[in-house]
Amino acid sequence: MPPFAGSHPLSHGFSRNSIDSYSNIVTIDVGGQLFQTTKQTLKQSGSKSLLSEISGSDFDGSIPFIDRDPEMFSILLSLLRTGNLPSKAKSFDIQDLVFESQFYGVEHLLLNSQSNPSQFEPFDLEKSLILPLSGRDSPTAIATTQLGEVQVAHGCKITSFDWSLKRKSTILTQFAGIDSMLSLSANVVAVGATDFSGLQILDVSKGCVNETLNWENVTKSGSTVQGIGASRDLLFTSFESSRRNSNCIMVYDLNNDGFRPVAEIGHYEIFGAELDSAIPATKLSWISSHNLLMAAGSHSGPSGVRGNIRFWDIRSGSAVWEIKENVDCFSDCTVSDDLSAILKVGVHSGEVFILDLRNIGNENSWTCLGDQRRVTNGKKEGVGSKIESHGTQVFCSKGGNLELWSEVLIGSSIKDRVFRKNSMGRAKDSCGNKITHFTFGGNKMFVTRKDQQFVEVWQSSVRGF
Amino acid sequence: MEDGTPDSAQRTTGERVKLNVGGKLFETTVSTLRSGGPDSLLSALSNRTSNEPVFIDRDPEIFSALLALLRSNRLPSTAKRFSNHELIDEAVYYGIESQLRSALAPSQLSGIDASLFSTIRPSSDGVVTDFNAVDSDGSVWVAHGGQVSVYDWSLTHTETVRTHLDYISSIKKVGTDLAVVGSEFESGLHFYNLANGRRVGSVEWTDPSDPRIYKAKVNAVVDSVDSVYAAFECQHRENCVVSIDKGTMKAVSELGRQSGNSAKSTVVGKLTFLPEINALLGVSVSAGAFGYSGYVRLWDSRSGDVVWETNEPGSGRSSRFGDSFADVDFDREDLTMFKICSKSGDLAVSDLRKLSEDPWVYLEEKNPCMRHAGGGSSTLIHCYRKQVFVGRGGELEVWSRMVEKGIDGERERVLHEGLYRRNYMDKVEDAERGIIKKIEGAGDRLFVTRENAEGIEVWQSSQFSGAVLNL
Repeated sequence: MPPFAGSHPLSHGFSRNSIDSYSNIVTIDVGGQLFQTTKQTLKQSGSKSLLSEISGSDFDGSIPFIDRDPEMFSILLSLLRTGNLPSKAKSFDIQDLVFESQFYGVEHLLLNSQSNPSQFEPFDLEKSLILPLSGRDSPTAIATTQLGEVQVAHGCKITSFDWSLKRKSTILTQFAGIDSMLSLSANVVAVGATDFSGLQILDVSKGCVNETLNWENVTKSGSTVQGIGASRDLLFTSFESSRRNSNCIMVYDLNNDGFRPVAEIGHYEIFGAELDSAIPATKLSWISSHNLLMAAGSHSGPSGVRGNIRFWDIRSGSAVWEIKENVDCFSDCTVSDDLSAILKVGVHSGEVFILDLRNIGNENSWTCLGDQRRVTNGKKEGVGSKIESHGTQVFCSKGGNLELWSEVLIGSSIKDRVFRKNSMGRAKDSCGNKITHFTFGGNKMFVTRKDQQFVEVWQSSVRGF
Repeated sequence: MEDGTPDSAQRTTGERVKLNVGGKLFETTVSTLRSGGPDSLLSALSNRTSNEPVFIDRDPEIFSALLALLRSNRLPSTAKRFSNHELIDEAVYYGIESQLRSALAPSQLSGIDASLFSTIRPSSDGVVTDFNAVDSDGSVWVAHGGQVSVYDWSLTHTETVRTHLDYISSIKKVGTDLAVVGSEFESGLHFYNLANGRRVGSVEWTDPSDPRIYKAKVNAVVDSVDSVYAAFECQHRENCVVSIDKGTMKAVSELGRQSGNSAKSTVVGKLTFLPEINALLGVSVSAGAFGYSGYVRLWDSRSGDVVWETNEPGSGRSSRFGDSFADVDFDREDLTMFKICSKSGDLAVSDLRKLSEDPWVYLEEKNPCMRHAGGGSSTLIHCYRKQVFVGRGGELEVWSRMVEKGIDGERERVLHEGLYRRNYMDKVEDAERGIIKKIEGAGDRLFVTRENAEGIEVWQSSQFSGAVLNL
């Protein structure tokens, strides 16, 4: 860039301003300091906020005065101008900025600059924060919202953290322990347990039960929750009767109040010794590109771990396709819409397998991403492993370590997609206790481990506040 | 932002005031300055008419934090650069202490979300022998050895007085600057004025007609609005509860004098006064070779009659014979009584308004992580903010009441087994600091002392996540 290249647009912008008349420039006095900006900048804060109100109203030549701290305002003004926080903001506590931004009505901009899911950088994640939990219970379930609010279930309690991870609140639930939890919004979670009848919709800010959803099963016993999933409009819950002889997936409407049941799909009953005939689904994932619900369940029987993965069409209520998992059954599986694939980690081999969704309907279509020879070795190397996809990346936990599988874009056909493995974290972070859950929210990843009363936050090194 | 509109209008049009604090200029509105109350220095300054900035010769940085507090009712994080002491001094100067106090106060104590906040350590004789946490003003009155120290709501040491006793085993605040102290080793109950450090009165339990009553020592003490009740015990175990008038500091009457020669007549070890039902409650527990035994007795404080009593083991149709209580405490807000069983470690609750022969409801325990926490040799309980705090050896646990749908306020309340949830409040390493000796809640804090450990632990809840950087 030539040394004076910058001067041209500057002078150009200035002259244009003078032509546009000065009425576009707004002067505000905040706590005794004068700030000048444009109406457009103030309008960035949204139509109903205090600042756009000032930009819209006429003060008869007098300067509007806001009785707030000027330094904080200068930071929020930079946020309005550029969409990012200036580096001098680091000398402030994010909590102060959150409160100040709420006063001016610009919290959404702050949130967007700090916890935007698009800023998630899978190759630059490092363990940056520890969120301690009170008491002695280790986390049993963790849920996140898209903007990075986190809810952690430990014992009979749920602790929720706001998106800045600076404030928390803890509520008591009726559960003895929580096994599955899903965030419906920042304050509402769906909670279930395998030893408690009914799915509860909890308000974590008030600590009260909004709704209890039950499955009226044939045996007239209670219905425990085996898994929860959601699409944009539907809530899916896998129920099993308390006598453990029948199960089904209930579909509820999320858009209207009252969680109206929409459908009951996949109702199975056990007759006699045919245990494999009705394995309740423990993982429910919505595949939006195909409008299908993936329901996966497994159990450990005399002939080893067996399971199945079914794909349901909600409207017709029928299973479109089923994968029977008899050899090297999944320990965990996940769907990636971005990769257009299903991924599993084998309970015996501990290897990651991929199944292209475009191959749906073909037999035996799992492709091993790692060492094919370990598939049939019979050692249970993948027990407890978890697999999750986020964007185009696949994360898989093995004991205390995390692997990141990413596609290398060289192949052209479905058959030879190339994936490569990376191990995550620094040497000092690896070999911790066994990872029990991990999930993604905002630009962060959250990890919980066995016997640890805290949540690890992994985020990009440049994004830390 | 419906509520933002009137607020912003007021903030933009309110009368403006310029201040020059230590050379730094601040501009704010009259209404902000006046929010500190009419008597404060700041609201006095807001009445000035001159257009020139008012000069205040104080530190501008602390003022900026305090101004932010007045503007938003919230202390900014920049205040962390200053000690509480500095902030309070400065707030007192400007006359906005009450604002600062509410901003610094802990959030409502919730046992399931509390952590160790700090430890009060007296500078000499650090082992605390007894303390009294005062719920009304959040202060703690600490007896350590022969000294009495007072810590105010901000846990700042305010004064220490040396008493004539060498070992204070009971202390109670009974008035502004007035404390009563008693000792297991020296006779009498003594009134001390903490403001000037003087002993202002003494009460001995004597009976001219009974020569065995002499040199009685104080075992427990409690106060009501106008009386102090103290449990005295003589060398030969005769004991009674003496009611003392606060104004005259003289003994007025005796309640339940007894010989002390059996478990049913030993001295009261814990006294509680419940003003709502005008009841004085005494609990006595003794541990012997065959386990625990004790009684709970409820006196009508006006007539001095025993209204209700229960003995364990023995009275009632208790299905848990042999599992007698190790400690009993009373919930003043809910008017309930809790006992902890010595063998099983179970907690039982009863309604003080519906006392019967066997009023107990045994609470169920569901937390799988607490399975192995049984009874122990030293268990004690304390009720505070509708929660029950249990010290079991060195472990601290909390029983919290579940929010139930449809049951609100003063409707007919039913005590049932599933009403409370049990959780550990501490971490494993916290329990290693020693056996818990006393728990008391006040000002949304829980104060805990441990055997042979110096100081008082202060537990409180916080909305701050306490996130730690992983370096």
